[in-house]
Amino acid sequence: MIAVSNLKKEFSLSRSQRQELQTKEKTTLAVNDISFECQPGRIFSLLGPNGAGKTTTLRMLATIFSPTQGEIKICGLDSRKSGQEIRKKIGFLTGSTGLYARLTPHELILYFANLYQVEKSEFEKRVNHLYDLLDMHDFKNKRIGKLSTGMKQKVSICRTMIHNPEVVIFDEPTSGLDVITAENIIALIRDCKAKGKTVIFSSHIMSEVDLLCDDIAIIHKGNLLFNDTMDSFKKQMQAKNLTAEFIRIVEQS
Amino acid sequence: MILTVFLKELKDTLRDRRTIMMMVIIPILIFPIILNLFVSISASFEEDAANKPIAIGLIGNKNGFISKQLMHIPKEMGECKVYFYKDSASLIKDIQKDSIQIGIYSSSNFETNLNNHKPAAIICYFNGTDIGIKTRAENYISLIEQEAQKKRLKELNIDQNIVKPIIPIYNNIASDKEMLGKLAGGILPYIFIAFGFIGCMYPAIDLFTGEKERGTIETLLTTPISRWQILFGKMGVVVLSGLMASTFALLGLFLSIEMLDVVENDQLLNVIHSIMTFKFIFTLFLLLLPLTIFFAGIMVPIAVYAKTFKEAQSIITPLNIVVVLPAMVGFFPGIELNLTTACIPVINVVLSTKELIAGTLDFSLLVLSFTVMLCLASISVIVSYKQFGKENNILV
Repeated sequence: MIAVSNLKKEFSLSRSQRQELQTKEKTTLAVNDISFECQPGRIFSLLGPNGAGKTTTLRMLATIFSPTQGEIKICGLDSRKSGQEIRKKIGFLTGSTGLYARLTPHELILYFANLYQVEKSEFEKRVNHLYDLLDMHDFKNKRIGKLSTGMKQKVSICRTMIHNPEVVIFDEPTSGLDVITAENIIALIRDCKAKGKTVIFSSHIMSEVDLLCDDIAIIHKGNLLFNDTMDSFKKQMQAKNLTAEFIRIVEQS
Repeated sequence: MILTVFLKELKDTLRDRRTIMMMVIIPILIFPIILNLFVSISASFEEDAANKPIAIGLIGNKNGFISKQLMHIPKEMGECKVYFYKDSASLIKDIQKDSIQIGIYSSSNFETNLNNHKPAAIICYFNGTDIGIKTRAENYISLIEQEAQKKRLKELNIDQNIVKPIIPIYNNIASDKEMLGKLAGGILPYIFIAFGFIGCMYPAIDLFTGEKERGTIETLLTTPISRWQILFGKMGVVVLSGLMASTFALLGLFLSIEMLDVVENDQLLNVIHSIMTFKFIFTLFLLLLPLTIFFAGIMVPIAVYAKTFKEAQSIITPLNIVVVLPAMVGFFPGIELNLTTACIPVINVVLSTKELIAGTLDFSLLVLSFTVMLCLASISVIVSYKQFGKENNILV
């Protein structure tokens, strides 16, 4: 379970960044006082346009960034006090994730399994299961740099799931992928839900959100504009379709 | 955990062609290639210059003293033919055209002065850009002078020893090892420092900026490993790469000496062999370790700060001049290791290595140099740690 309360994130701006943004402010507010909860066995979607603060929020959940203010509890653990313990419980997959091109998929997955301190026997069991599931046997020993985008995505999935995380964070996982490759991710998200994991994923594609999520939060310029179930979102709709409703909410703010 | 990161980064680095090129191939090949080229070219030049038949233009009496001496120059001094000229203008012109290589002018009263036991002048012309010609000219003139002196002493019935009141005997109390260490010993640490720096450069940029640029750092930061463990694992590879580049440069130098016979002087070869002991290599690496950590420590914060490979490269490359240039101090024979120089980073390593080669290293100064470098390395690691911990730096 993920519980976020009054979360705030401020970044200091360098001189060049201030010039770029044409501002005299020394800091910028990326996330402003947001609160939400993600339940196990449900898919929570963080929806927002580019630059809304989705990635910053997810990076705080993954303990890459520390919050300026507020509290994050993952599986009952406080992110400020137990960052390392939290990281053991989460799997993190982003659409922009790169992979080590000079390693083979097997070497990369073994490396991450070692970092997550997965037992050797457990690793063998899990990795073979994932290779079977994702049909990776043919290319597991080829250099990642020589793999297709679809194959790389499968490697990323395998890397994310190798330690069997309780919480899975997806940051725009399908961005830049073709429909067939994106289908692997959709299947993974559904599989996580079926296994009772807590799933949070960010996206700016409404159709993807409609397809998957149980709960939805809309974020724009760091502020939370909507936070409820998908059913409730559909009931409260004023526009013709989901995308139009999303745009309406964002523009109204 | 640090070892896990270290081993993975090492594997990744060793598969990078660019790093292998800078870390292994160039250091190991550069000395055999340069030394072999240098030795073979200079040897062939020297041989050519010493043996090539040359033409000597002479202005003077055809049956005079100089002419006779030139006609009887021993073959060991190189083949030569004598041509007679009437004026110096055509003589100089022919030297410029390379029709003749040496021109000798003796005045009309040369023979008279010589016979009257007075000083007799000889003017020698040569083209200084023609390698080895000056030496040949000096040898021939010296031969003529010696013969003239012998002739005069014989005519005056004087024993040669009478006009040689002093026989100077020069004794160099410095051992060959000391001479080599103090005069040429600066080259070795310079090589180590230059290659150590280059060896660190590519892995530092690749493992920090490269990881940011490729977008792999984000997932690494979501694993339960601490940032300092990631930093140390990566830094370990950077340091090892620097040390490996230095080691391969040393290996290349050793191979050049042993297999390509670039050192023909047996005495010098024995001195080099006596220097290359386990103790010497161990002490050298003891000095190089904190230096390489220092190099890694100044490169890592830059690599962490930079957003692209190019940006990191454009900042680190000029640093090469700032850091490696002081190492050239070792080339100057007058600068010695003392309390002051032992406190100056990089220079202290160069001078300590020189003293080490010469076998005159003061242990207390070695400890001081090592301590200074260790302090500096520690500071640079702390700076790297702080820079790597900044949220603004670690992600693009």
